[in-house]
Amino acid sequence: MNQQQTNKLRQSLAEKVSFFLSLSIVAAITILIGYTWLTGDTNPPTLSVTTGTNIRQAERQYYVPFTVSNLGGSTAESVEVVAQLLLSNGNRETGSQQIDFLSRKEQRNGEFIFTHNPQQGQLTIRVASYKLP
Amino acid sequence: MNNPRDRYKKSSNQHGVYGDNWQQEAKEIISGASGGFLFGIPLIYTMEVWFIGSYVQPAILLSILVITFIIILLVNRIEGFRTRESETLPGAIAETIETLAIGIACALIMLVILQRIDWQTPLTEILGKVVFEGVPFSLGVAFSRSLLSREADSEQIRSTPSSNHRSFSWRDTSADLTATLIGALFIAFNIAPTDEIAVLAASASPWWLLLIMVTSLVISYGIVFAAEFTNSDRRRQQQGLFQSPQTETIISYLVSLVAGMLMLWFFQKITFGDPWFIWLRYGIILALPASIGGAAGRLAV
Repeated sequence: MNQQQTNKLRQSLAEKVSFFLSLSIVAAITILIGYTWLTGDTNPPTLSVTTGTNIRQAERQYYVPFTVSNLGGSTAESVEVVAQLLLSNGNRETGSQQIDFLSRKEQRNGEFIFTHNPQQGQLTIRVASYKLP
Repeated sequence: MNNPRDRYKKSSNQHGVYGDNWQQEAKEIISGASGGFLFGIPLIYTMEVWFIGSYVQPAILLSILVITFIIILLVNRIEGFRTRESETLPGAIAETIETLAIGIACALIMLVILQRIDWQTPLTEILGKVVFEGVPFSLGVAFSRSLLSREADSEQIRSTPSSNHRSFSWRDTSADLTATLIGALFIAFNIAPTDEIAVLAASASPWWLLLIMVTSLVISYGIVFAAEFTNSDRRRQQQGLFQSPQTETIISYLVSLVAGMLMLWFFQKITFGDPWFIWLRYGIILALPASIGGAAGRLAV
């Protein structure tokens, strides 16, 4: 195959289409990374946890949904969420949950399980700790 | 004839004028993607890579893209997924962009199929995971012809009279089955004892498991298709159950599924006391890399 034929083949429509599709994919990734670099938040993790209202009961246990969010600009590792249910008779139940990774702007959902009705006591759920990756 | 590309020019000409139609283009891209899956799949099943992708800063991601681009550009000067050589630097740059794009697209598809990326995943995390997983996929695309072609072996086989092969169809079938098992073991044995299988299985609904099965079949069919493309002369001489690509894909998937389950049992990730759906669920998750390895293994027969 000579140089002229090679050049001609390189100009085929199929090759042009796949090249421009490829260029758009690589350009899109590069532009998006550049965008997140310029607009990105570099603050440390800011972790918050919210409790859902729809507590469900199954097999004599109460399931309390929670959502933990990272509102900061960095990823948090080993995020520990702890829950404490203080009952009116002075007894208390505790639970803890560890989330491996919580990226910036990411949310994770889960449930704490208690044997007593959380609505008949004082429920506290909070983020106890995390470490930087 | 030291340049590896020269070896393929002759065989490519046998398929007619290349590069001038969509079919040829699709063949080259599928062949490249198959190499990408073969090289990239073990890292898709590594949760540390997901985690690294979720916290790495954008500046580092851009640097990784640039370094990968340079490495693949150097590879493309002597290798590359296309059958003809990129004779000029702009040609090699264009092929490098295509290689990166195929790698990134394959990695993105796999991350979505394995539910490591969904609608709730933040953009920064998506980009991190796609870039980190896209690097091994892109390298696999660049080396795809080396990974998938066995022209030296095929020429040796071509010299053997085909009549000898026709009387040994069961031998060919058994050789293909063995090669599938070896390929499946080669890729999936490293993955079977890891926690990733349980993590991925936990997040997969029955519909997702079906999707993973279909993906496994499509990718291993793609590799078989690529094998037909690169080694068609040699494979036509083989007889037995594995002659048709469709039958080959389905039988090898079933072999990979059973092999995957046995590997999981071997590493005590599942036991006979577990319900059947746990076996099936874990098996389907591991059958994805196992079937890709199995399809690649048959190319080496």
